[in-house]
Amino acid sequence: MVFPTVQFAVFFPIVLALSWALMRRQKVWKPFILTASYVFYAAANPLFCLMIAGVTLANQACAQLIHRSDDARVRKRIVVLAVALDLATLGVFKYYGFFATEINGLLDKAGLGLPLPLAAIALPIGISFIIFQAISYTVDVYRKLLPPAKTIDVALYLSFFPHLVAGPIVRAREFIPQLDSPRDPRRVAVGAGVALILIGLVKKVAIADFLAREIVDPVFGVPQAYAAPDVILASYAYAVQIYCDFSGYTDIAIGLALLMGFVFPQNFDRPYRAASFGEFWRRWHMTLSRFLRDFLYIPLGGNRGGRWKTVRNLMITMVLGGLWHGAAWGFVLWGAIHGAALVVEHQFRGRVKLPRWLGWALVFHIVVLAWIPFRAPDLGLAASYVSRLAEWGPATLWTAPVVIVTFLVVALQLAPARPMDALRVRFERLHPAALGASMASVILLVAATVSSQGVPPFIYFQF
Amino acid sequence: MSTVERDPFILDRPTGRSLRARDAIACVLVAALLLLVVEGASIRSTGEKMDPGLERSVVLAVGHPAGWLADRLPFAAAADKVTASLSPDDDLTGEGGFNAAPVAAPAAAAGAAAGGGARIAITTDSFDPVELGVKPAKLPQLETLLVTGDSLAQPLDVQLARSLASDGVQTVRAAHLGTGISKTDIVDWGLLSTQQAKDRKPDAVVMFMGANEGFPFPGSGGEAIECCGPEWAVVYATRARRMMDTYRRGGAARVYWLTLPLPRDARLQEIARAVNAAIAVAAQPFRSQVRVLDMTSVFTPGGRYRAAQDVGGRETIVRRPDGIHLNDAGAKIAMGIVLERLRADFESLGA
Repeated sequence: MVFPTVQFAVFFPIVLALSWALMRRQKVWKPFILTASYVFYAAANPLFCLMIAGVTLANQACAQLIHRSDDARVRKRIVVLAVALDLATLGVFKYYGFFATEINGLLDKAGLGLPLPLAAIALPIGISFIIFQAISYTVDVYRKLLPPAKTIDVALYLSFFPHLVAGPIVRAREFIPQLDSPRDPRRVAVGAGVALILIGLVKKVAIADFLAREIVDPVFGVPQAYAAPDVILASYAYAVQIYCDFSGYTDIAIGLALLMGFVFPQNFDRPYRAASFGEFWRRWHMTLSRFLRDFLYIPLGGNRGGRWKTVRNLMITMVLGGLWHGAAWGFVLWGAIHGAALVVEHQFRGRVKLPRWLGWALVFHIVVLAWIPFRAPDLGLAASYVSRLAEWGPATLWTAPVVIVTFLVVALQLAPARPMDALRVRFERLHPAALGASMASVILLVAATVSSQGVPPFIYFQF
Repeated sequence: MSTVERDPFILDRPTGRSLRARDAIACVLVAALLLLVVEGASIRSTGEKMDPGLERSVVLAVGHPAGWLADRLPFAAAADKVTASLSPDDDLTGEGGFNAAPVAAPAAAAGAAAGGGARIAITTDSFDPVELGVKPAKLPQLETLLVTGDSLAQPLDVQLARSLASDGVQTVRAAHLGTGISKTDIVDWGLLSTQQAKDRKPDAVVMFMGANEGFPFPGSGGEAIECCGPEWAVVYATRARRMMDTYRRGGAARVYWLTLPLPRDARLQEIARAVNAAIAVAAQPFRSQVRVLDMTSVFTPGGRYRAAQDVGGRETIVRRPDGIHLNDAGAKIAMGIVLERLRADFESLGA
């Protein structure tokens, strides 16, 4: 089920009302929300619920075994097994086809006729988010940062519908304690929740989908048919599209959770104002950065093993971070570009001091360029796209709305946050009925921009 | 990325005003109520388009009363008027719609009635010169190619566009997801094909559609003509024939209509067989300009579904996991077949 749809508009008010009605009776509330979350996920494909249930039970079993054991070696073996099972699940659903094709190609070239069997495997939406959260739970139990939770709490943590399919990647120790006691029905951040939902809707439907339709999809689909002006604008437009699409989803997810009494971590903080790559990764997909830092970069040794080990660790972390997005060389290259940029930045830290505006310009444009292999269907088309940057010709897709929307979104990130925050605070103070009327008005306006074919899925659903 | 001493991801509890849970519910219910009053008909129509199941039942349980209420209030029309300029859809009005034509009559007469217009006489257009052993006349220039249909047209559309970009061909990609000839609630293909031919004047049209078919056609007595018997196929063929006639623009354009590779699901196979039979019959009067490209035997030889097949000496997956659509590799095979026929028909593409 996608947030900006009629189905969800019918689903959510019912679930919200029942959720607060049942809140004081936790023995009823938890199964109710768990059922609602599974119904939400089953709308895509009911069989996917088996996957999420299996991941839940396997991780819970491992967490319990880890907790019961005093032997450090046994505990380590179990956590390795749990992570291996999680990654194997991810591997089968997400990466098998990619690696089978690549390995079969190599076997062919070597003259070995032992191809791996091929299978058309359906990819459960949001599997990467589910698996990362499962790993977070089991590893946090192993690290004794969290005691094992009740099975129903773990099931709720992994399937809670606001963050189920595209994050933010909430840590178990952030979410599960919130289940311990009923939410306080006298302290609900209604204004903040509604504001986030509306901002998210505008970002996704009115900006991201508009730019995709008008310029990004045509140019990235057939770059050969366009000259440099269109290709350049499409690059900026895609940077804006993916930001608005993903952060729009996150805004809606956080807003829905607030209305239900839950708090999620932030995921974006105006990333295109970053003046260094370190800063970019503290502002872009912050919960993934945190996960990669805590579960990969630091366990690899972080920056504690000297210059070359730091370089190695940065590159491994970022390349695997790229591969997390999907089984394609474009994602690997995207991760490698960011890894290399972080390495360069790390090597020159303290030795070269750029003016902030120059740092921003460099970072922003490298980030925009790195989105090209990320978005292009394959590396060949990415190369073709880049080659068109030097082919001058007419600007066929430069319309005023596309140009204004693209540059306005970037400009708003560079502008001081205070005026926008003040506006939001004033909105949050509206009477609940006025908030509801505002919500209906914005939804009506945004819905009018949707084509007859409905709202395209969020980009990060595929990850 | 550096190790950070303090975890900066402390949950940001909203600092703004807190209200009560009942205010949250009231706020959402006010919004829902306003939307029901204004968009009730849209909720009903969305529900009607959904596949049968619990989800559809719930949406319709809300949509029917909401639609009834919205139909009796002036707000929907007012909202439409205010927001009409924001819609990205083409305004499909005018003549040529399937729904505007008389409803179907069964059996042989249906073809002339069900949105199909008058009977078509046998002319030289009815014969494919290749079959008669005559060299077909080539059209000089392929300037505009329209690739259209439903979701089946993707990713074939983008692959054709890439492949023909170097020949200076402008490819218009117009896949209308979730649509079908047997369902006119999202898009009426009678209207759409008329507008596409009029606005774009394509020299060639590639049509790949049929993933959303099997819906009943309205019969002349108000009864429903259910899929997938001969009566249903008659109406489908009649509609498809009219679209072919529209796209060929009196012989100025060539049409390449792809048949359906059989889907994995047995019920969908039944629909696909009816669609394929209807396409073959529909094209008969225009064989000199309308090419029916057989995807069925290419992807599902012997009528058996398979996800993978031999491509360039290597077993390759050609279908998507849904068991209906072609994936990139499958679309490339389809593209090769389309390109071969395009080259045979247009001088500018060479032999």
